[in-house]
Amino acid sequence: MTDLLIIGAGLSGLLAGVWARRQGLRTRIAATGLGATHWHAGTIDALGYLPGEDAPVRSPFAALTRLTAARPGHPYALTGEAGLREALAAFRTLLEKLGLPYGGAANPDENLLLPSPAGAPRPVYLAPAAQLAGDMSRPEPYLVVGFQALRDFYPTVIAENLTKLGFRARAEFLPIELITDRRDFSTIDLARAMDSADLSRLANALKRVAAPGERIGLPAILGLRRHGQILAALSEAVGAPIFEIPTLPPSVPGLRLTTVLREHFERDLHGRLDLGMTVTDFHAEAGRVTWVASRASARPVRHRARRFLLATGGILGGGFHSEPRGRVWETIFDLPLTAPQKRSQWFRPDFLAPEGHPVFRGGVRVGPDFRPLTLAGEPAFENLWAAGNLLADSDPISERSLEGVAIATARAAVTSLINTDV
Amino acid sequence: MFNADTWLPPEVSLDLCIKCNICVSYCPVAEATDLFPGPKYAGPQAQRFRMAGQPAPDLSVDYCSGCRVCNEVCPNDVNIMEMNARARAALVAEKGIPLRNRLLGRNELLGKVGSRAPRLANFALHNPVSRVAVDALFGIAKEAPLPRWSTTGTFVDWWEKHYPHRLISDKKVVYFHGCATMYYEPFIGKAAVAVLEHMGYEVIVPPQNCCGLPMLSNGEFKAAGKLYDNNLRKLGPLAAEGYDIVGTSTSCTLTLKEEAPHLLDRHSETTQALTHAVWDIFEWIRDHEDELPRDFIQMEMVIPYHPPCQYRAHRVGRPSMDVLALIPGVEVHESHARCCGIAGTYGYKKEKYDIAMKVGQELFSFILEEEEHHHTEFNACDSETCRWQIEHGTGQESRHPIEILAAAYGLYDLETRTTL
Repeated sequence: MTDLLIIGAGLSGLLAGVWARRQGLRTRIAATGLGATHWHAGTIDALGYLPGEDAPVRSPFAALTRLTAARPGHPYALTGEAGLREALAAFRTLLEKLGLPYGGAANPDENLLLPSPAGAPRPVYLAPAAQLAGDMSRPEPYLVVGFQALRDFYPTVIAENLTKLGFRARAEFLPIELITDRRDFSTIDLARAMDSADLSRLANALKRVAAPGERIGLPAILGLRRHGQILAALSEAVGAPIFEIPTLPPSVPGLRLTTVLREHFERDLHGRLDLGMTVTDFHAEAGRVTWVASRASARPVRHRARRFLLATGGILGGGFHSEPRGRVWETIFDLPLTAPQKRSQWFRPDFLAPEGHPVFRGGVRVGPDFRPLTLAGEPAFENLWAAGNLLADSDPISERSLEGVAIATARAAVTSLINTDV
Repeated sequence: MFNADTWLPPEVSLDLCIKCNICVSYCPVAEATDLFPGPKYAGPQAQRFRMAGQPAPDLSVDYCSGCRVCNEVCPNDVNIMEMNARARAALVAEKGIPLRNRLLGRNELLGKVGSRAPRLANFALHNPVSRVAVDALFGIAKEAPLPRWSTTGTFVDWWEKHYPHRLISDKKVVYFHGCATMYYEPFIGKAAVAVLEHMGYEVIVPPQNCCGLPMLSNGEFKAAGKLYDNNLRKLGPLAAEGYDIVGTSTSCTLTLKEEAPHLLDRHSETTQALTHAVWDIFEWIRDHEDELPRDFIQMEMVIPYHPPCQYRAHRVGRPSMDVLALIPGVEVHESHARCCGIAGTYGYKKEKYDIAMKVGQELFSFILEEEEHHHTEFNACDSETCRWQIEHGTGQESRHPIEILAAAYGLYDLETRTTL
């Protein structure tokens, strides 16, 4: 008998799987496909902006009270500051162990500002080691190096925007043949090629274009399997701080994060991950979910488990269905959603409104134990929990809280479901 | 994301694509060669420019192996592989089909012809001189792992001898053997019959023919349709009577279930009845777990297991692993590899052989590491062409999980591949 069936293989689903498995639960993950981590920069955003404010948040923890005052149902109000801190620390310890270390600002209460793929400042709480030298509080001037014919990275734009912000920054281009002979390639192809490339050619080329004292920003392609060694070897050979700037998707830092979590869950912890399984149906008896069913060839497959964790994502991740007129509903259990049910109320007129768009704040309301609630405020099912960006009242886009919410709620939901007798 | 319980035709499925590139990140063929730019480009992107009466906008789709890893990882349920298969059929309609692909699509005919004089056929095909000639004349890679015809008769030759001695029971199940079991590996069918009878089922082996997959993957939709319709005539009445139809070739069962009806637009009631009757054998055994006898013998073996991409495309999880885990002493290690590379007939083609071998590398390395660490003698895989490719790529013998299950009941010898 499966102890826990997790639905969804994004950041919250994979992390919940890892944490539940490490607590000894027989855990399976079923998902339509892999989650949104491949579009993300690989960084962990905890809280970058408060609703309606233009200036980035300096310390996500110090800003929590104001956030939850404005959004009392926010997932962080449920996890509390201690829960958020503990989950982020647990994530950091885990990733260190998996060979993909993350770091943050010198003051562990504060965000870092890193250059975005457009050269704009981006408040993040934790970043992969490879992105840390991009920290805007460091003094070195920026040299942004791109590769000819790489269509998903724009050094000139980045350098121009950094210059406008008052940084010293310039751009250079190197021939793509330093990495690959392929005529057509994505960032993933380049990262794979880097795994086996002769680094000395690239290092020499970088030395030729870099001025003394500069730090070098490269597109995030520095290897998949041998990423850590490549970063270290290249920095040493060039003799300058080297860092990655995320590219347009497919995002190599996002892929690295997914890969280490997935492999840890499947290979080290012997958890089962099934992709291509879209869960569409469920059966409940006496207030308990007995099984969920996924679409398959010929006939649906039923999955029985003691506990179920819903981690299907928000409107962008696939946890919602919508109709053209604007009605939205949760895909599997038809749980009530807080999102506006009229299309005209989904968005504000201003695309970049600092308050964010109402539809992105919509989601499933959960109780303090992370069980989804009915409209009457009761747990919908005794043995159903929810985590991640499916939850109501956070706007991951305007708040820049996507990964923080995923990590903190996955951690809290797993703790709750382990401590509940079912 | 889309809550339709029915399958979406490509033109609808296309609109679900958000161009996130996850398919490109995981496509094993795009990783191995830049002759194929990736599923997103050949699939949803090019699909917008595919219109009747207009020449094909993208020729690289010929390099898609059809492994369906793209469908598997897609977070939005886009039917990318089906788009590519249809695009390939349109290419064939537009430009014609090479003789080689026509040959590879006709594995049933090749099976039949060779089985008339299997020793002669094996010699004629498998000597180095003819492999070089076949390579040069037809473009079938001389190194590729072509199967050998059975020299002890076909599966049905054996079945006719077994028929009077078969188990008679109220519980009945239909067996679909497919061409590989019929002409090359009759022992797979014997192992399947042994297990099914051990479960107390009377096995019915009706007349049947090729499922049509080799033709579908080579873009010969019309000829594949004929094969499918023939099977529908032969198996449809049994399906309508409520018999379950189980198969040991996982790509055949997938084709009968949905690949043929989807690609050939067959959506009648009889088609649906056949779809609902067909099971992969381990999917069926797992579903009938309470009827599975537990008189296993202790096996003490580690089995590196590769769930073939065609099996994963059933979206039923890992039934073979679930069932083999019940055997005391057996430890099944999953490959977590995407594809063995062969993809049906893909890896036989001269221009694609190297790509297929490169694709298979992650699986081959896994098998060889397992051999080194656990001194494994066999690996296991549910699909015949994959087993041949794995043996070719690693030098280690490969078995169907049904052979292992039969051996666990003491009904089968894994070494000699004979029923006891």
